[in-house]
Amino acid sequence: MVLSLRDVSLSLQGNAGMVDILHDISLDVAARETVGLVGPSGSGKSSLLMLMGGLERATSGSVEALGNDLTAMDEDALARFRREHMGVVFQSFHLIPTMTALENVATPLELAGARDAFDRAAAELEAVGLGHRTGHYPAQMSGGEQQRVALARAAAPRPDVLLADEPTGNLDQATGEAIMDLLFGLRDRHGATLVLVTHSQELADRCDRTIRLVDGRLDRETRRTAEAAE
Amino acid sequence: MNWLTQAARIAGRELRGGLGGFYIFLACLALGVAAIAAVGSVRVSITEGLEREGRNILGGDVEVEWDFRGASEAERAYLASLGTLSEIHDFRSMAATGDGSEADRALTQVKAVDDLYPLVGEVELSPEIPLEEALAGDGVVVHPVLADRLGLEVGDALWLGSKPLTITALLRREPDAGADGFGLGPRTLVRRATLEESGLLSEGSMYETKYRLLLPAETSDDALDALKAATDTELEGTGARWRDRRNAAPQVERFVDRIGSFLVLVGLAGLAVGGVGVSAAVRAYLDRKTPVIATLKTVGAEGRTIFAAYLMQIGVLAAVGIVLGLILGVLIPLAAGPFIEARLPVPVALGIHPFPLVEAALYGALTALIFTLWPLARTEQVRAASLFRDVSGPARGLPRKRYMAALAISAALLIGLSAWLSGIPELALYAAGGILAALVVLVGAAWGVRALSRRLARTRLARGHPALRLALGAVGGPGGEATAVVLSLGLGLTVLAAVGQIDANMRAAIDRDLPEIAPSYFFVDIQPDQLSRFLERVQGDPAVNRVDYAPMLGGVVRSIGGTPAREIDHWVTRGDRRISFADALPAGTRLTAGEWWPEGYDGAPQISFAQEEAEEIGVEIGDEVVMNVLGRDITATVTSFREVDFSSGGIGFVMIFNEAALSGAPHTWLSTVYAEEEAEGQLLRDVAGDAPNITAIRVRDAIDLVTEALSALAAATSWGAGATLLTGFVVLIGAAAAGERGRVFEASVLKTLGATRGTILTSFAIRSALLGAAAGVVAIAGGAVAGWGVLTMVMEAPYAFEPVSALVIVLGGALATLLAGLAFAWRPLAARPARILRAQE
Ligand SMILES: Nc1ncnc2c1ncn2[C@@H]1O[C@H](COP(=O)(O)OP(=O)(O)OP(=O)(O)O)[C@@H](O)[C@H]1O
Ligand SMILES: [Mg+2]
Repeated sequence: MVLSLRDVSLSLQGNAGMVDILHDISLDVAARETVGLVGPSGSGKSSLLMLMGGLERATSGSVEALGNDLTAMDEDALARFRREHMGVVFQSFHLIPTMTALENVATPLELAGARDAFDRAAAELEAVGLGHRTGHYPAQMSGGEQQRVALARAAAPRPDVLLADEPTGNLDQATGEAIMDLLFGLRDRHGATLVLVTHSQELADRCDRTIRLVDGRLDRETRRTAEAAE
Repeated sequence: MNWLTQAARIAGRELRGGLGGFYIFLACLALGVAAIAAVGSVRVSITEGLEREGRNILGGDVEVEWDFRGASEAERAYLASLGTLSEIHDFRSMAATGDGSEADRALTQVKAVDDLYPLVGEVELSPEIPLEEALAGDGVVVHPVLADRLGLEVGDALWLGSKPLTITALLRREPDAGADGFGLGPRTLVRRATLEESGLLSEGSMYETKYRLLLPAETSDDALDALKAATDTELEGTGARWRDRRNAAPQVERFVDRIGSFLVLVGLAGLAVGGVGVSAAVRAYLDRKTPVIATLKTVGAEGRTIFAAYLMQIGVLAAVGIVLGLILGVLIPLAAGPFIEARLPVPVALGIHPFPLVEAALYGALTALIFTLWPLARTEQVRAASLFRDVSGPARGLPRKRYMAALAISAALLIGLSAWLSGIPELALYAAGGILAALVVLVGAAWGVRALSRRLARTRLARGHPALRLALGAVGGPGGEATAVVLSLGLGLTVLAAVGQIDANMRAAIDRDLPEIAPSYFFVDIQPDQLSRFLERVQGDPAVNRVDYAPMLGGVVRSIGGTPAREIDHWVTRGDRRISFADALPAGTRLTAGEWWPEGYDGAPQISFAQEEAEEIGVEIGDEVVMNVLGRDITATVTSFREVDFSSGGIGFVMIFNEAALSGAPHTWLSTVYAEEEAEGQLLRDVAGDAPNITAIRVRDAIDLVTEALSALAAATSWGAGATLLTGFVVLIGAAAAGERGRVFEASVLKTLGATRGTILTSFAIRSALLGAAAGVVAIAGGAVAGWGVLTMVMEAPYAFEPVSALVIVLGGALATLLAGLAFAWRPLAARPARILRAQE
């Protein structure tokens, strides 16, 4: 298993005491699998994705990724693990405002010690259709452009696992489809495992499996049937 | 509802959130205001005290003083015609426990008084007996310090000159102590009549006579002016010095003025440093409020409404800060009161003085306005569209003209006000100019380091070093904290470096100005018939290395080269001057122009003038100098110039006459003796035991006194430095705190991308180092310029760059900022990224 969650719960400190966000979630994701996380707003999709990336600490239960227990690792170990194996696209992108698009994309490559970081970053921006925007700062780009930079940044190091929170949320039909092709291309060409949070039926339909969350609980799991695949 | 009411409502709602996040703003403003209010209060307390108590401090309405002589019959009669007249002789002498060479001796400042003393005020004695009784017969009153030094108590014998007296009481309070300034020895009080047959106060010896006048009660200040004019005319050319109740303690006043003006300058610089902190705090606040402002605009608020709303909020906060500062400014002097009072020889009534408080409040309000107008004006430029960008870039370009005009007017008002109110307009203008120049240079340095970082980020150098590129991006990229940090750090470090330069230079001056081989003793008042015995004793002593001696008498310059003395503005022509005479050129003297008179010369009087003083006054060879010596006018021709070094602690006279011109006049001899330290004690006992009227001034004690005065100045500098340091530190913490939000966010994203804490911390450190270097270079240069300015203009001392102090201060300051920044980064680095990123959404 690439990802393996056992009885994971998450509670956060809210204004009026602890708020339970996720309850006893257990799920496994196999290698090269694509999983779509769906559910109503506020159901805990983003939170679950953060747990899978080791970006959030589970209140109880265990999270394993590629055989490593994420709950037992310290921040540096987690960072090194992500550097080598994981890409994350946030719901609100989180580009570094003091860096250009190109520098944003090159940063994880540099951190991983790549020599040709800038060339690869430029190629990656070309692939998301932003070859002409490399020198722009985040504040100078539209929401959709920023989202594509974020995606390029996550995909550039060719991660084993890509976690993406609404990767097509701000995009028009044509661009959205191009991005989907890019995501699934990562699986097809590099054997990446994808976990995607989405409200888009179209994107969910292309996944091997969709998991529906309601009120922080696993509600329903749908496996794509052979017919649907055709 | 008009726009101002709307603005007030918005401001009210925003302020409901409390003052959280504004502690730095409040601290910066309060500290600056408190420092200025405190210094102002103390200064006003002292000057008001001097004014109110002037009559008591002076011991009369008027004092007319002569050196080396008493008033003539005519002069005395004139003074007595003005009011009640009391006469005082003031001189240094040796107080001894006996008359032999076994006796202990100590230098004392003797005040020989008449029956009328004190004309005003009360002398307090212990035991509490009237002065009248204490000074009757051969009674003498001494300061407890002198009694301690000699191991004497009330009832013991004390010798003054060759006369044994009896200590009848210890002196607890001398009402007119402030008027005498800082003396060399502790006080002895005795009747003038008691000193007959003591061998002291003979003609030609060194003493001052003070004539105190009590005028009719209704004498106004105008009448006092008229009286002064009349007296100046009456006593012109006699060397008489006038002082009245309005400037009773000029030495203390000058001392307080000098320290006070310096501290006000430091306070203003501190306020400027605080202003940068205030500006940074407001900018950070408004940055955070960008979405609120954009939303308000979306729902129809006009630019002026929003500007007014935030101006009102800042106004309320500034008022709170200023009030806090004023409270502190009132409390600090009250708390420090006993400490200050103990160090000044005049009564200080520390209290609440409205004027310096209003002054400090005005400075604070103007500073707050100046440093917040710019970021406030920017709120008008926030566009509703910024809501739809993930990260809103800061507004660019200059604020609108009317805000620029308001800024210029406030700055001019602050500078003008400080120039006018501080009473040192020139210095205040220089200081304001210096601070302004520093700010401009720092803005330039910030711009430079940002441009450089942007360039470096694009070069090969940065590739493959994410920590470095990250730092370069943070410094050079948009919306960074770079400018604010360079400004606050730079200005803070500049002020600190300047204070450090001043401090180091003053300490160096204390060391440098101490003559390397100073004489052990000055012996004064040696009578001509005692000279040969005196020389026999000291020259015959193997422990004595060198003896210099010269005759001395007092004279008053009447005119030089035909110009009356009162028209020449130089210390040489003011009051009595000590002059000397010689036949042959004294050993070791170097002439720089003209010729020395031939041996045995007894023609028309000639003068050899000190080179430097001659240049300053404009004396030329061949000029005639008219000198009044003990009532007789002597006209002499300047025939040579000499090199005289007054700083070496040896004998130096501005004017030396040929021997025949003066040897007939009553005079005494002055001698400097250079001896081994072990031999000093016995030497003093022998000389004074043999001739009790000779006064010995131990040079080491005199130097200690000078060092003490300089140390007081150095201490004031240190206090000023401390206050600035505190403000600077608050500002730096503020800058670090203001940058925290951005850094925390960056750290979280970088961790997501795989950066370890080490990489992130390294990046933060490189960033601080870049900004610290830019600020530090400016600070070292600025500190040197400011230090030079203060030393040459305020302290009137030479300046030399002190590299160690500059480097230590700048490196220390930069390091402190770095550590503060890292400390702020620590918490977010340890947290899981999701918690922080979630809050950003
Ligand atoms: N810091 C927090 N403290 C308390 N509760 C929080 C906190 N952050 C989020 N929540 C709550 O956790 C729940 C799950 O949030 P999450 O962001 O995972 O939802 P989501 O399914 O991704 O929603 P969306 O589709 O709108 O993005 C929400 O109800 C939210 O209100
Ligand atoms: Mg979400």
